[in-house]
Amino acid sequence: MSTALSSTTVPVRRRFKLGPGARGIKLLIPVLLLLAVFFLVPVLALLLRSIMEPVPGLQNYVELLGSQTYVRVFFNTFMVAGVVTLITLLVGFPTAWLLAIMPKRWSQVMFAILLLSMWTNLLARTYAWMVLLQQTGLVNRVLMAIGVIDEPLTLVNNLIGVTIGMTYIMLPFLVLPLHATLRAIDPSTLRAAAICGASRWQALRLVLLPLALPGIASGALMVFVMSLGYYVTPALLGGTGYMMLAELIAQLVQSLLNWGLAGAAAFVLLVVTLGLYAVQLRYLGGGRSGMGDR
Amino acid sequence: MTTPFLQIRGLRKTYDQVVAIDHVSLDIKQGEFMTFLGPSGSGKSTTLYIVAGFQEPTEGQVLLNGKSLLDVAPNQRNIGMVFQRYTLFPHLTVGENVAFPLRVRRRPEAEIKAKVDKMLELVHLGGYRDRLPGQMSGGQQQRVAIARALAYDPPLLLMDEPLSALDKKLREEIQFELRRIHQETGVTILYVTHDQEEALRLSDRIAVFSQGKIEQVGTGEELYERPTSRFVAGFIGNSNFLPVKVEKLGSGRARAVFPNGQAVEGDASAFASGSDGTLMVRPEQMRIRPGTAVGQELAVTVRDMTYLGDSMHFAVQTPWNQELAVRMAVRDGQGLCIGSSAVLEWDTQHGHVFA
Ligand SMILES: Nc1ncnc2c1ncn2[C@@H]1O[C@H](COP(=O)(O)OP(=O)(O)O)[C@@H](O)[C@H]1O
Ligand SMILES: [Mg+2]
Repeated sequence: MSTALSSTTVPVRRRFKLGPGARGIKLLIPVLLLLAVFFLVPVLALLLRSIMEPVPGLQNYVELLGSQTYVRVFFNTFMVAGVVTLITLLVGFPTAWLLAIMPKRWSQVMFAILLLSMWTNLLARTYAWMVLLQQTGLVNRVLMAIGVIDEPLTLVNNLIGVTIGMTYIMLPFLVLPLHATLRAIDPSTLRAAAICGASRWQALRLVLLPLALPGIASGALMVFVMSLGYYVTPALLGGTGYMMLAELIAQLVQSLLNWGLAGAAAFVLLVVTLGLYAVQLRYLGGGRSGMGDR
Repeated sequence: MTTPFLQIRGLRKTYDQVVAIDHVSLDIKQGEFMTFLGPSGSGKSTTLYIVAGFQEPTEGQVLLNGKSLLDVAPNQRNIGMVFQRYTLFPHLTVGENVAFPLRVRRRPEAEIKAKVDKMLELVHLGGYRDRLPGQMSGGQQQRVAIARALAYDPPLLLMDEPLSALDKKLREEIQFELRRIHQETGVTILYVTHDQEEALRLSDRIAVFSQGKIEQVGTGEELYERPTSRFVAGFIGNSNFLPVKVEKLGSGRARAVFPNGQAVEGDASAFASGSDGTLMVRPEQMRIRPGTAVGQELAVTVRDMTYLGDSMHFAVQTPWNQELAVRMAVRDGQGLCIGSSAVLEWDTQHGHVFA
């Protein structure tokens, strides 16, 4: 997996290195144009609407950051994204590590499953979770059958449902870059730690985690940022009590036709995201997605 | 009655169908520098990794001071190890790398600091404490690795081809350092290499590995002077192998007959065993002199000669068209030139016959 990725990225990088001068920049023009049309223009349009509608001024931002309800939505958004990121890390790190050390034949099967789930329709996967998690769903029935619980648990339309659904969807986005980072760590380094007297826990804490940190950070940031703006899963698996920013934006646009406020909300989200990315660039040398890099 | 320091007993390791090592047994004395020498794939690393605890043997036992090592986890074995590739922790400074084994042992900070200084002094890297491994050359990194492996005073140091990634000059420099470190610390060393020169330079004793088995164990001199198999003779030093038939003559005499019917006679003990075999003679034990052969003398033709400063190297052709290497002092080679006929001689005690 990682080798396939890196072997395709290497020649591309070399080609760009060939023309660092004017020629290289000329080659980039179509791409820059594409980015401008499809990303920069809409973002600017949104920003414009947020400060021009209904009347010019910053009133949309004042309303957004001044109202209890909207601040609550921001809080929910960050809380859910944080919890999802944390749980994705707790599940994803051991998964990525297993994938890195298990025999190739097995890891290939695991990867196939991981990618297949990634490529399956998002809506289908989310509905599948609804079915699994509902009161009479498989999860509740199994838990009751083995006697862990007497009453069915409420697993959808609340924080638990959102967290489970989103963690599942985000897992590959953490596991793939992290796996590449872990694969690049020489197993001899861990043997050296062991023969030096380090217990498994010490080797994990003092050697493996620090070496995996770039992959952990970029994967976690990816998951966090994606979670911040996620719509489908929170909308379907979350209840009304935990509205997230993307849901708010959808509601503002679809039901209330309040483009100005929606634009302001989207812009705040964008600024936060860029801020987080800047932090990563600053502290982790950035630019390194972890995928096939190093 | 003392038990040997380290006993390797009947080790066998198989991977599916592949037999990596088979009945490897060896006793190592305390303070000894023991080298595993053999070609790639002969089972040296496997044996070393079993001692380190990274592999479990299919059969056999490893005893340190009479106690089995096999039930002890690698991190509890208190053994030092230096690997072929640089395995310093890249995120830690040189000082912290050396301190690592002491930190995981929760030694007091003052002791750690003193020990790190002492170890870096030992490998002559006193001023490098705060460097990162990535900022150092390969040779320096391996010296740090040695310092890290010795920081906790392990009774046993394992080294798996630690110098094979370095260029020749650096390799010789660190070999010299290793000898000094061995003498200064008195640590017992198990060293793996495929380089016979390195083995001869460093070791007290050498175990020659071939296809998962130990062919012969001995000092460099023993292996060179009295190899017990054709493999050892071929692996250590240069050799000429002449096809012969050995005939016992009675009264302790025997003769080796060459393919052209000529023969050399000697003590039967000099022609150890086998009726069909190979006679091995080292190039420096052979002599040629100008002239034509008479009687049982071997006539050869000089095909090539090379001046090597301290000696002269000749390639000579036998009557059965085999090319042999002869090495002599420069002045003994006077009067010979390419194409000239010569007589080939050696003292019979320098001929070894292998089955
Ligand atoms: N993990 C493994 N799986 C299968 N075969 C192995 C493995 N490790 C070593 N071998 C085989 O065992 C033999 C000895 O290997 P090794 O001890 O590494 O030799 P050396 O260190 O002398 O080069 C080789 O034939 C090698 O192919
Ligand atoms: Mg090896």
